[in-house]
Amino acid sequence: MATNRYEHLFKQIHDAIDDRSKSNALLRCMKRGRDTRARALETLPGGAAFRDEVRRIKERCIEELPRLQQQFIANARRRGVQVFVADSAADAIGYCLELAEARGATALAKSKSLTTDEIELNQPLLDAGIDVVETDLGELIIQLVHEKPFHLVFPSVHKMAPDVAEIFSRVTGEKVASDIPSLMKVVQKYLRPIFLNAQIGLTGANIGVAETGGICIETNEGNGRLVSSIGDCHVCVMGAEKIVATIEEAMLMILAHPVSASGQLPTTYVTWMHGRSPLGEGPERSPRESHLILLDNGRTRMRDDAVLREALYCIRCGACMNVCPTYGIVGGHTFGHIYPGPMGICWTAGVHGLEKAADFAPLCISCGLCQEICPAKIDMPLIIAEIKHRDAQKRGRLLSDRVMMDSDGAARLGSLTAPLANLALGIPPLRKAMATSIGLSSDRKVPPFAPASFQRRFKRHRSPALRPRRKVALFIDVYANYNDPKLGMAAVRHLEALGCQVVLPKQRAAGYPFIAYGDMERARRTARYNVSQLAPYIGKGYDIVGIEPTATYCLAVLYPKLLNHDLRARSVAAHTHELFSYLVRLEDEAGRPQDRAPLAGKRFGFHCSCHQRPMGGGKEAMRWLQRRGAEVELIQTGTCCGMGGTFGLKAGPLGHKLSAAVGDPLFRLFKNAYIDAIVTESSVCAIQLAEGTGKPARHPLHLIG
Amino acid sequence: MNREHTFDFAENFIKLSGVVHRVASESAAAETIVSIFNIKGARCVALAGLPASLISAIDRGCEGITVLKEPYPADTLPGAIDAADVGVTGIEFAIAQSGTLVETATNDAVRLVSALPRTYIGVLRAEDIVDKFLDAAARIRRITEQHERNLVISFISGPSRTGDIELKLTLGVHGPEDAHAVIIDPR
Repeated sequence: MATNRYEHLFKQIHDAIDDRSKSNALLRCMKRGRDTRARALETLPGGAAFRDEVRRIKERCIEELPRLQQQFIANARRRGVQVFVADSAADAIGYCLELAEARGATALAKSKSLTTDEIELNQPLLDAGIDVVETDLGELIIQLVHEKPFHLVFPSVHKMAPDVAEIFSRVTGEKVASDIPSLMKVVQKYLRPIFLNAQIGLTGANIGVAETGGICIETNEGNGRLVSSIGDCHVCVMGAEKIVATIEEAMLMILAHPVSASGQLPTTYVTWMHGRSPLGEGPERSPRESHLILLDNGRTRMRDDAVLREALYCIRCGACMNVCPTYGIVGGHTFGHIYPGPMGICWTAGVHGLEKAADFAPLCISCGLCQEICPAKIDMPLIIAEIKHRDAQKRGRLLSDRVMMDSDGAARLGSLTAPLANLALGIPPLRKAMATSIGLSSDRKVPPFAPASFQRRFKRHRSPALRPRRKVALFIDVYANYNDPKLGMAAVRHLEALGCQVVLPKQRAAGYPFIAYGDMERARRTARYNVSQLAPYIGKGYDIVGIEPTATYCLAVLYPKLLNHDLRARSVAAHTHELFSYLVRLEDEAGRPQDRAPLAGKRFGFHCSCHQRPMGGGKEAMRWLQRRGAEVELIQTGTCCGMGGTFGLKAGPLGHKLSAAVGDPLFRLFKNAYIDAIVTESSVCAIQLAEGTGKPARHPLHLIG
Repeated sequence: MNREHTFDFAENFIKLSGVVHRVASESAAAETIVSIFNIKGARCVALAGLPASLISAIDRGCEGITVLKEPYPADTLPGAIDAADVGVTGIEFAIAQSGTLVETATNDAVRLVSALPRTYIGVLRAEDIVDKFLDAAARIRRITEQHERNLVISFISGPSRTGDIELKLTLGVHGPEDAHAVIIDPR
């Protein structure tokens, strides 16, 4: 059933894990992109706040798109541009073919255009006898080897200098040395005549400016300038969602594109093209023209779709690809159809079809890092969850996904049958059977279940009788309930020691696996239930405190989005606190200096889980430990540890194996660190890090007696 | 105030591997430009978008160097400009924050002069340097309003570059491998 569909994907993952050479090149590229972006943001006034501005502009422009599109077309036509609105890829291709035939043109030079990749324009032109040559070096390289882009911004990142030398040796018929200066000279010599003799110059456009009817073309190499100035016939293919209203908005986009992708401010060349200029003077001047193909290809449908609409805010910066953990291992040929990476899942669903998107969507482990880095703050995890959901309605789900979505139920069962369940989990033949039957990896050490859950123990708990300073409704989730109730009790003790009255409302586990595996109905049902149980406590003056970062994230960030921002969900979100954020604040208010230092002399490496990044980033937990005398260092690669919640528990390549490969660089950092233990608030990250490093991974509360 | 803008522009243009020359007058600019021609061993140079006085001054200093100027006969293009070793264009204004030269053109021959030759020189006045990137929008609007039909505004922030092979930065793959800004600052 569903398993056969992913056979090819499994094989690709397997191959990528076995041969890491492409992944290593890609990971270096991604890290460089993240680091240069961080540095560039420091120089931008307002820093990362420009994302709010980008978001506002894109929201407004997509909302006004029909009007802006009309204004843009009118202004472009006023300047002599021939504008053609192409509903489909076929329409756009047809227009180009007719134009080339009418002009008798066979030499076509292209500067980089992802939109032309989207509609696969090159092949029909080549078939019609038109010599199409990519002039962007990365695109040229993959054109010469007939491959698709590996990364949006660096399409040939997987090709090393010797590979490229071989490619150009083949193409030029001369032996090309593999040092980069020599290579570049060959490339230049190869492409210069192509530029000079082009009859048609085909470009994309990064931006369309409605107020002027002009387009902006951004390049670093300068090939865009040559392509758009030499050939008498200029053609531009541009997605309609690229239109902004004003020059000011265009300027912001010009900064936002490269800052997010490669840390530049702006690209070396930005060409603002209005109409078509003559080339030279005199009676021998040939007529010059500019054609703009405004492409729809599903964009109007996306705009009308409540979930996919947000994907139209994408500015094609590639930042999401610089941070996606699974993409870093498998690369753009596996994690993509034509558009790769996180935005690739969203855009493939919009322009190439839901099924094609869902073919590689399972590679998304829902860590949420893409949303954190996206300059337009697109909630890709939620869009991807919806895509997984829609596909599952039609084509069913993987068994392992269904099992993991019920991990809460499984944990409850495990706790109820604790000594037996733990025994079973330790028997290799039984684990092997579980791997094939329910998809639980037999290589993964599952934390044992406690015979009495936290819920049961808390019933017997007597809270101190004093008048409480604060009232806390505890959100316990799965791990601290069924696996480690001592952790839950420790949290209660610490809260009570600071004068809190702690209650445990009726609740279900937060349900993030429903997002990760794409069951939006169950996600919303869980959200509704938990909000309805917790909201009344807000009215009674309670704060909500969560122990498990992802669960707290659900209450504080996710549930309002799932429930259409209804008042109660927002109220619960506003009153939800991470455990250490709450403890540290109470300590500050009490004014009690930490007079004892039980952790003096200890050194810890702190791991911040992905879902903590949009919340406190783990800073409060680190402060809490430092107040107790510990030396704490944040250790990170900037991307996920690979566990992805329950993803790393799954058997096989789309699970444990891929999870372990993702974690490699982080494991190495922790292994090389001079620390007594790894500290993390996330139960699942702890499993991953302990296994990957061989070092103990503890919750901060467990470090104190 | 503008002195700071000149300094900031220079700092940012240099960070992008550009070269900055500050001169006190148009004749000093011509001298500097000709000395760049000589350092590069240029045999043929192309000029566009420059004031007539500057063109004459450059011409006078160029013994043994072919100086191509506007108007460029259409049937010699693009080859004639491709043969030039150095291209010099006039710059409308510059942006300090990003180290950007802003060139305006209504004839694509101008763009070829700044895009084809190995060495590029942009000439501007210090008073035409604006501070912040986003502040340049108003100026761009004025320019687009002055030209109803065709117009190309080109932002040039240093020499041409690529990192497409192993992320190793290389300059001058298709566009110029070095970019000079000659700033005329009478103060």
